[in-house]
Amino acid sequence: MSITTPVTFEEGPAAPPRGAKTKKAPDNWTSPQWRYTLTVLVIVLILLIPVFVTVILAFRPQLQSTSHSYFTLENFRYVFSQTGVLTWLRNSLIVTLATVLVAVCIAAPAGYVLSRGRSKAVSGYALLLFIAQSFPQIVSVVPLFVLFAKFNLDDNLLGLAIVYVSSTISVATWMMAAYFDTIPVALEEAAWIDGCSLFKGFVRIVLRNSLPGVLSAAIFAFLLAWSDFLIAVVFLRSDSNFTLPIGLQTFFSTNSTEWGYVMAVSVVVMVPPIIVFSFLNRYFSIGGIGGSLAGR
Amino acid sequence: MTSTKTGPSNVLSGLSRARKGIGLGGRSEHQPRPPRRLSSRIITLALLVFPSVFLVVLIYGYPAIYAVIESLHNGNLVQTGPYVALHNFWIDFHNPVFWHSVRFTVVYCVVGVFGSWLVGLGLALLLRKRMHARSFFKTLLLLPWVVPVVVTATAWNWLVATPSSPVPRIAQDLGFGQLLFLASPGLAEFIVCVYKIWLSFPFMMLMASAALAGVEEHLYEAARVDGAGAWQLFRRITLPLIARSTYISWILMFIFCIGDFQSIYLLTGGGPVSSTNTLVVLSYETVFGDFQTGPGVAIGIIMLLISVLVSVILFRRIKKVQIS
Repeated sequence: MSITTPVTFEEGPAAPPRGAKTKKAPDNWTSPQWRYTLTVLVIVLILLIPVFVTVILAFRPQLQSTSHSYFTLENFRYVFSQTGVLTWLRNSLIVTLATVLVAVCIAAPAGYVLSRGRSKAVSGYALLLFIAQSFPQIVSVVPLFVLFAKFNLDDNLLGLAIVYVSSTISVATWMMAAYFDTIPVALEEAAWIDGCSLFKGFVRIVLRNSLPGVLSAAIFAFLLAWSDFLIAVVFLRSDSNFTLPIGLQTFFSTNSTEWGYVMAVSVVVMVPPIIVFSFLNRYFSIGGIGGSLAGR
Repeated sequence: MTSTKTGPSNVLSGLSRARKGIGLGGRSEHQPRPPRRLSSRIITLALLVFPSVFLVVLIYGYPAIYAVIESLHNGNLVQTGPYVALHNFWIDFHNPVFWHSVRFTVVYCVVGVFGSWLVGLGLALLLRKRMHARSFFKTLLLLPWVVPVVVTATAWNWLVATPSSPVPRIAQDLGFGQLLFLASPGLAEFIVCVYKIWLSFPFMMLMASAALAGVEEHLYEAARVDGAGAWQLFRRITLPLIARSTYISWILMFIFCIGDFQSIYLLTGGGPVSSTNTLVVLSYETVFGDFQTGPGVAIGIIMLLISVLVSVILFRRIKKVQIS
């Protein structure tokens, strides 16, 4: 760190950084640290304009309204009481949570095999996952629609969740495998020697120590299932089964779009993933998937 | 070893023994084999991976076969219809919109991959500097990726779509005349690409940040002593060290871009006059808009062949990319 604030007084490298710094080398506005902070702040403000616009418009009175204030909850009151937003919200939550649970339950053991197995079959499986990930959804959506219609799974939240699980499975498995790779095999070996079965070793030793890996995969599945549009727009027909992204589109069908209502629903759509991310962000790591994707 | 013989031991005691080193004592005599015979290990592993394989085959394998059959028939969503051999592909190949979509798909993928990589890497490098509230900024910068596309496409639409939207008005005030961003083909293509970069840079930033975290500072210090400039440091040290991760992130982003439906469909719907159709959007429009199932699915098959072929080739190459 040779280019940080010049330390004029006693330059002890082991000095407690924070307290010492603010006192002795005043953290003024022209220091590189502040310059970088302001640069990034400006970039963030510009890049997030679309997000700010959504929030501002959601809380702003409609143009034709008589109110003169700049803040109102009227848009939210309307969409919650007059439209199906609550039903769609419930549907979205059900589908997303089901997807997350099932995806984790399927991806965790698969990731364990990917992480610990060393054979031709495992490499073949890794390739299979890769092909599945590069499979354009548009190809599978028509045949799946026909197939699911036979089992009454079209226009059905369960059918939707099944497809979502399958489309998260590749990345979720890579994330799991990447995390399992960081857990030493010696731990399991010790348990095997004590007569523990492979499966027990996996559940009680590997899985129990893999909360960040599990959460990474869960967050990824959450984001994918929550924001999907293609599968939902093909599968869902009846208003009461809509998920939020599809419900949002119904506001555009009229000639003049009521932007206040649209943005209010938009805020409802974007709040859950933001909440999830702001609480669990530190567990989310995607960098490792490269290693588990390529490592075998 | 006593620890392996004495009675039914549970996992916790096994762990504690492992910590005390007793387990390691057993290791020297016994091979650290998975429990019992080898075959039981294989059976367990197969059972663990089975649900995943089953799902992949059901949701990808079956539709792939069905789609191939559909692309060879002149049917609709309900019936398969008569066999027409490769006529559906013939229809596609003689459709100028198809070739335009091929071109735009290539543009979209190239711009999407490298544009978002440049922005993401730039931000990841910037966020390595000492600054205040760094982790807060990092989280905020992920928002374009975290917020659902339906929402951001709506916001972008509000910002650029109509002549009275903010961005066209600012452009007019700056003397660019009246620009119809989503109504003129060239500008619409441009906006769609910018939107894709905006959506994808957080992913690239995450990948780059993770890779950069592994680059050690002392490498730079040695080079700085030798008089290397900032660009040389980046070119000769940073880039080679993150090459492998960069390559993987390109591949993943390519896959995300080529299969991407919702960001284009929700922003422009493929318009104006089909100018922003990629193959995915064209396929969807042909099947569900024009009800021409055969030609639409045929487009999907072409895409499937291209993307699987390209990604398998890239997948095989990953192993060869080495830190140089």
